Amino acid sequence: MATADASMKIGEAKIERSQLGSERVVSAYLIVQIGLFVGLAWKWSYFSMADKVYHLWPLSDPFFPPWLQSAETVRWAYVITLGAIVLGVAGMLATVRSVCAAVQAAALAFLLVHQASYNDMTFATSLWVSIWVCWFTTRMNRDEPYELLNRAAFLSRAIASMILLGGAVGKWTPEYWSGEVFYDIYFLERDYWVFNYLRDHYDPETLRTLATWYSRKVIAIETLFGFTLWLLPPKLAAAFGVAIFFSIAFLSNFLLYSVLACMIGLCAVGFFARRR
Amino acid sequence: MDGNEQNSERRRDPLFVAILLAVCGASIWLLLLPFFSTVARISLKRFHLATESFPLWCVQAPIPSMYNFGNQYEIRDLPEDLITPVLDSRRPRYINHYPSRIVTFANGRYALLQPGQDRWLTYWSSYRGQKLETKVHIKPLGNGRFEYVRQSSEFIDPKDVDFVLSGAN
Repeated sequence: MATADASMKIGEAKIERSQLGSERVVSAYLIVQIGLFVGLAWKWSYFSMADKVYHLWPLSDPFFPPWLQSAETVRWAYVITLGAIVLGVAGMLATVRSVCAAVQAAALAFLLVHQASYNDMTFATSLWVSIWVCWFTTRMNRDEPYELLNRAAFLSRAIASMILLGGAVGKWTPEYWSGEVFYDIYFLERDYWVFNYLRDHYDPETLRTLATWYSRKVIAIETLFGFTLWLLPPKLAAAFGVAIFFSIAFLSNFLLYSVLACMIGLCAVGFFARRR
Repeated sequence: MDGNEQNSERRRDPLFVAILLAVCGASIWLLLLPFFSTVARISLKRFHLATESFPLWCVQAPIPSMYNFGNQYEIRDLPEDLITPVLDSRRPRYINHYPSRIVTFANGRYALLQPGQDRWLTYWSSYRGQKLETKVHIKPLGNGRFEYVRQSSEFIDPKDVDFVLSGAN
């Protein structure tokens, strides 16, 4: 009798743990999709203005196929991406979620090679995060929740490391080490609270020195975490990832949240992982 | 389906492996950048839309490259050989990535094309001693349409350009 009670309790605990795990899986999915949506909608008014510009002044360049120069296709790819995220989240059914995730990844891949949007890193980070979403949706109803969350957290760390490494390696060049690039882009004229404050309080010579150390700080952080983030335990990596991606935009350019909101969401997946 | 089959079904996750391989591939490519001039040249050409083929350019598109390389641009409203009232006459300016965005992306396209005139652009991107220079003519075709005419795109000696740029100050 006592043995039957004990095994019933163990069974109930297992079910409870499994339910809690499933809720965590859905929460991880939602937080990443919210990050993606916020990032893509962050520059909504800018993209609306851009849409008008692309329609009014088409630029013919034989490098791009005509359908990747069209103002219509870039507009629809953007709208389809947002629509697929909303439908995927609202759809709830596993198949709907997976199909929507595949559509959003395909639309973002399109935006990444379109003449009007190839340069906007919003679409590069969003594509990698959507690829993660695409994979995650195919496993949500199949895998044991905690096992899945541990794998999901590892993949999110690997992607975040690669994104940081991409930023770091391209800056291992004298123009960034000297601070010349950031001085010209941000310190000289950029209307943003950090640079306005520094311009108000320091003379041009000190400002130039600050630009050098600001640039070296960026290189050091991107390099350090580009190499190590994927090796850290899930929760610690999540905390560092969220803090780094949040601070990059906070300390340089508010519009950068369009690029980094999805990375913040992706890094947060680590908070849902659990030791076995 | 017994427990073992369920476990092996769970473990079979080819998409996970494929994504991880793609991440590793992109990371290895990035780490080759400072050590192999060929990789640097391919990446610099990517930033100038000067890659030999469009599919090769597309393959590189997902490789993260935020604020990479020393990218500069200069805009002229007359051809290079003429002394010209340049739009931004002070000096060439730095730009975060893809210097070609100055005319293809929204705000730059508006600023440069809205007056309806010819523009001559020069971009430079440099990385650890390699410098790519690209010259482009933006030609009005009428009714708001423009043509992006690539005049040249070649690697040059960085010292030559530094001399020219310091002369422009």
